[in-house]
Amino acid sequence: MRLRKAAIVPALVAVSALTLTACGGGSGKAAAPKANASASTQSVTLGTAADAQGPAKPTPGAKSGGTITDLEPTGLDYLDPSQIYENQLQAISALYSRQLTTYKTDPTTGKTILVGDMATDTGTSSDGGKTWTFTLKDGLKFEDGTPIASKDVKYAVERLYAPYQTSGPLYLQQWLSGANYRTVYPGPYGGQSLPDSVIATPDAKTIVFHFQQAHSDAPYAMAEQDATAIEASKDDQQSYNNHPVSIGPYKIQSYQNDKELVLVKNPEWDPSTDAVRHQYADKWDIQLSVPQPLLTQRLINGSGPDNTAVSFSSNADSTLIDQIQGNPQLKARTVNQFEPFVDVYSINTTRVTDVNVRKALAAAFPAAQVIRQLGGAATTEISGNLMSPTMSGWQKTDPLGIAANPTGDIAKAKQILTAAGKLGYPITIAYANTTKWQNITAVVVDQLNQAGFKAQSKDLDATSYYTIIGKADNQFDLYRTGWGADWPIGSTVIPPTLDGRLVADGSNNYSHLNDPAMDTQMDQIGAVTDINQAAPQWMSLADKILATDVPQIPYAYDKLFTLYGAGLGGVTYNPGTGALDPSSMFAK
Amino acid sequence: MFRFLVRRALGSIVILFLLIALTYFAFFALPADPAQLACSKTCTPQLLEQIRINMHLNQPLYVQFWDYLSGLVFGHNYGADIGQCAAPCFGYSYNVHQFVWPRIASNYPATFVLAVGGAICFLTIGVGLGMVSAWKQGSVLDRIASSISLVGQSTQIYFLGPLAMGLFVTNLNWLPQPSYIPLTQNPWACFMGMILPWLVMSVIFWSNYTRQVRSLMLEQLSEDHIRAARAKGMSSRYVWWRYALRGAMAPIITIFGIDLGAVFSGAVVTEYTFGIHGLGFLAVDSVRQSDIYLELGVLIFSAASIILFNIIVDAAYALLDPRVRLG
Amino acid sequence: MSTLTKSEAVPAPQAGDAFLSVRDLRVRFRTEDGIVNAVNNLTFDIERGKTLGIVGESGSGKSVSNLAVMGLHNPKNTTVEGSIQLEGKELLGASQRELEKLRGNTMAMIFQDALAALSPYYTIGRQIAEPFMKHTGASKKEARERAIEMLRRVGIPQPQTRVDDFPHQFSGGMRQRAMIAMALVCDPKLLIADEPTTALDVTVQAQIVDLLKELQQEFGTSIIFITHDLGVIREIADDVLVMYAGRAVERGTMREVLKASQHPYGWGLLSSIPRINASVDVPLEPIPGTPPSLLNPPTGCAFHPRCAYRELVDGDKCVTERPPLELANGHLSACHLTAAQKQSILTEQILPRLSS
Repeated sequence: MRLRKAAIVPALVAVSALTLTACGGGSGKAAAPKANASASTQSVTLGTAADAQGPAKPTPGAKSGGTITDLEPTGLDYLDPSQIYENQLQAISALYSRQLTTYKTDPTTGKTILVGDMATDTGTSSDGGKTWTFTLKDGLKFEDGTPIASKDVKYAVERLYAPYQTSGPLYLQQWLSGANYRTVYPGPYGGQSLPDSVIATPDAKTIVFHFQQAHSDAPYAMAEQDATAIEASKDDQQSYNNHPVSIGPYKIQSYQNDKELVLVKNPEWDPSTDAVRHQYADKWDIQLSVPQPLLTQRLINGSGPDNTAVSFSSNADSTLIDQIQGNPQLKARTVNQFEPFVDVYSINTTRVTDVNVRKALAAAFPAAQVIRQLGGAATTEISGNLMSPTMSGWQKTDPLGIAANPTGDIAKAKQILTAAGKLGYPITIAYANTTKWQNITAVVVDQLNQAGFKAQSKDLDATSYYTIIGKADNQFDLYRTGWGADWPIGSTVIPPTLDGRLVADGSNNYSHLNDPAMDTQMDQIGAVTDINQAAPQWMSLADKILATDVPQIPYAYDKLFTLYGAGLGGVTYNPGTGALDPSSMFAK
Repeated sequence: MFRFLVRRALGSIVILFLLIALTYFAFFALPADPAQLACSKTCTPQLLEQIRINMHLNQPLYVQFWDYLSGLVFGHNYGADIGQCAAPCFGYSYNVHQFVWPRIASNYPATFVLAVGGAICFLTIGVGLGMVSAWKQGSVLDRIASSISLVGQSTQIYFLGPLAMGLFVTNLNWLPQPSYIPLTQNPWACFMGMILPWLVMSVIFWSNYTRQVRSLMLEQLSEDHIRAARAKGMSSRYVWWRYALRGAMAPIITIFGIDLGAVFSGAVVTEYTFGIHGLGFLAVDSVRQSDIYLELGVLIFSAASIILFNIIVDAAYALLDPRVRLG
Repeated sequence: MSTLTKSEAVPAPQAGDAFLSVRDLRVRFRTEDGIVNAVNNLTFDIERGKTLGIVGESGSGKSVSNLAVMGLHNPKNTTVEGSIQLEGKELLGASQRELEKLRGNTMAMIFQDALAALSPYYTIGRQIAEPFMKHTGASKKEARERAIEMLRRVGIPQPQTRVDDFPHQFSGGMRQRAMIAMALVCDPKLLIADEPTTALDVTVQAQIVDLLKELQQEFGTSIIFITHDLGVIREIADDVLVMYAGRAVERGTMREVLKASQHPYGWGLLSSIPRINASVDVPLEPIPGTPPSLLNPPTGCAFHPRCAYRELVDGDKCVTERPPLELANGHLSACHLTAAQKQSILTEQILPRLSS
């Protein structure tokens, strides 16, 4: 999923700064780490065909009927599944849309696996992982009763090539047609179709993808919202976004942009085709643009309809977290789980060319102090590596000693600098000009200066922060970035952020690391056909890059800390997306 | 009066044009790139270019500006995938795939109801308390009114709002969760949903009116023409309402006009505190999303509101005070 | 001073034939700095159709005493004691309702600054018509006719159109005329004119004074004319009351007080009036010093710090003992100088200077 909106620094700074002071009351100090139950770590694995068999196992204690309210802090950028890339939208679209595969979380154990959704299983590969075949289940229908066929899945992929499709993931298009996929095929609206050599539909149930290279993580790519089925006759391009046709348990009754999305039961959805979703509630009232801290306050109060309210992906307001944790009744209805996001400081390797200097930076880095400023243990945890605990094959490693020395080892850093003859090395830290990052930057600058650097900071306009540090020739040495894996395999973390061949303006390789040896290894692991083998290899490559090249200083795993109404049951968490899963929720 | 209105209307158009031009070019002078913001996580140069084309950002700035201005007057055709935008076309929000005008039109009623209701509250409560205060000058009542006004002055909506909600919505359960339900749909529900925002918003305003009305009334009551009116045998009550209040009202109307313009152009904090989707929300969204056309739309709307209320205030002032001549 | 045992009320004229009769009037204000004795032991009468001029500096209590007659003081911070009888009816202690019936009807008042005293928000006509409607129960239309008639009577040209003008559209003299029209609209029997000419230029002053005199002759109104301008007093007053520091210091007919003042303050006033026939090399002599503070008035004779003749009085009587108001050389004055001393000073020092 794409960086959450919160990461693209909201312009609400002024307003939220006000609210912070308003509701203050002991929220300033970070809670001691032990006060928070550590987010449980369970990485995702592949399920079997039996796991994909509908109907879904009844949720213990589930009741039918009622309305569930979902409070979202912002409006929805997209309803069109092809354009969805954020965990907020992924969670909501699970109510009305389906993919070839999806994540299935057991409400009792909390264990998440990847299973066939519209497909009978997670797909079979041939041709060394380049060809992937999926078979659709029987009984799948669109909201209007039309049966879903393989051509509808193919059509959904074809429309990803259209010029207006700019927001969703690019994996399928690029894997099928290369980086310049739009020049190869203009999309379906001119009457053209992708040839069978790219996507074949030998019969109404079978769909075959022919990728240009091997992609062992294709089953995960098919869990992205754009691997869906779309009825060509209902597709009116951009406008489809306002009234997508449902194939899930709920359909859209009304949608007011920025205000409210109301979903009601979709009678054409057949529970026997779905191993994940239920249809417990009669209605979903998704209220949009509910500002913080009102949103959290409403979840705490739980008055009236808010008794069965939830917020899929937004953290509780930082000013209220202490209150929630201090109250056992409130704490009993919280979810605190790792998200796929890792916060790092990228070191600009084109400027800081001496790896020893980079090692000294990592040694001195005050991760614990930074985390305290970020809001403490409820929403962050010190990370030692680049992979989130939600990732398949994750290990609790610490190649740079960040977790071992959370407050930074000034003496060691100074020693490394002295040995390298780089005492007084100048470091320019860029930061988005908000109060939070001003404070954090001041802490980092101070620490680096103590360790023998000559650090200074440069404030950047918050809305253009990523544009400026995204320049390949930016004039800064150290800046905060972050990355969330699209699916729990290292292939969506390591190559996008560390492949030297990607360095360019606007690239996600913010450290500009260009180590051909590492790039070669990335290609090798990418070619491993067994995903269960590839996953741990990505993990060890991540650690190896970190230890050898020190391109980034990972300092925090992001955690979701959210609250739901006392009248809500069946709340599960999907580590694949980093959001709550509405599939088994019910109103008590 | 007619000449005054025509002249002010023409002046307003010039002001609006300058505002639009200034905002437009200032926006593009900023380093923030709307295309970049719309570009997803795995942004590629190709994708970025496609977004630029989609957003018509690849054209020269003056062409885009001219398109916008002519769209305001004549409407604008956005091509097959978006469609025709009828005049007055306020542009297209690329990030939510909607024309700007429907967004404003759908949010404006909430702001309107919030503003009008809030204004009625702060005017009646504020002026009422001020008059009580002046009438019983120096009494316990006066002191209570002054203290309330002082507290109101120093409080903040985002502080008072959650408190009031906690009390009236959660604990006492007297009121539903504040929200805007269209007046046409259910007037009673609209009233119940807005009463708390109205009152809370009015607090910070009415304290000002209380103080102003109190001092203005006292000032008026010491005026010679009040004494002269009483010397004519007019009753205290008559003099109070017809002479003193009349004299105190003129400055109040001026403040009221300014405040009304402010609340109409979007009481951001109130809207955020209570989650009421009005213009304030759009204003914040437009900045957050770097949505120039939404920003301009809200700006034009707000500026027009403020200008309109200024004209109304000036006209009202002329009606209220015969010494003022509109020319 | 054998008469000292007599009360200060003794030299008062006999009540009964007087239209307005004020006895021992005392007005006190409570202020943040303390109690202000604005008026003390003030006694005077006015007969029907006559004019009483009240003279004094600012703060001498002349306006305050007349506001007390009108009952316009704020009862919250003002104490009014004594007796005020209008046509034999006691006004002190009368209810606001009763006073409202009298104000603007039986007694009316003209203020110094017509621009301030007229409300800027209503037309001249409406402001004139208001009391007429209230007191006579006339309809709007009748009241408007009456307002036009009144405007005509006070000499406003084109009253039919000017009646709808606002005060700011009138010139200063016209505003004062309108004020007079407003005061006279119900044919009051008593008119209190509080420095009605002070703010006007000399020619307009004369016109206004003439107007008041004409109206007085026409309606038989009694007028209390408050001013610090003895020249105007000479034109209009029958009797004169000189006030200093809240007390009457001299009282008599206009001729007595102006031609034969028996009080050093009165002499000072006379010397400070410019005269058309005065020789240019005799300088005007302002009264030295400043008016006393009523919060903390001087002991004895309140005028003693400014008095040029206190050496002539034996001992420190001027400082310790307040002189009573008593007859001296024909009219009432309050001064420790003997009648002979007063007469000689008047004839030897004051009058020559005035006529030179």
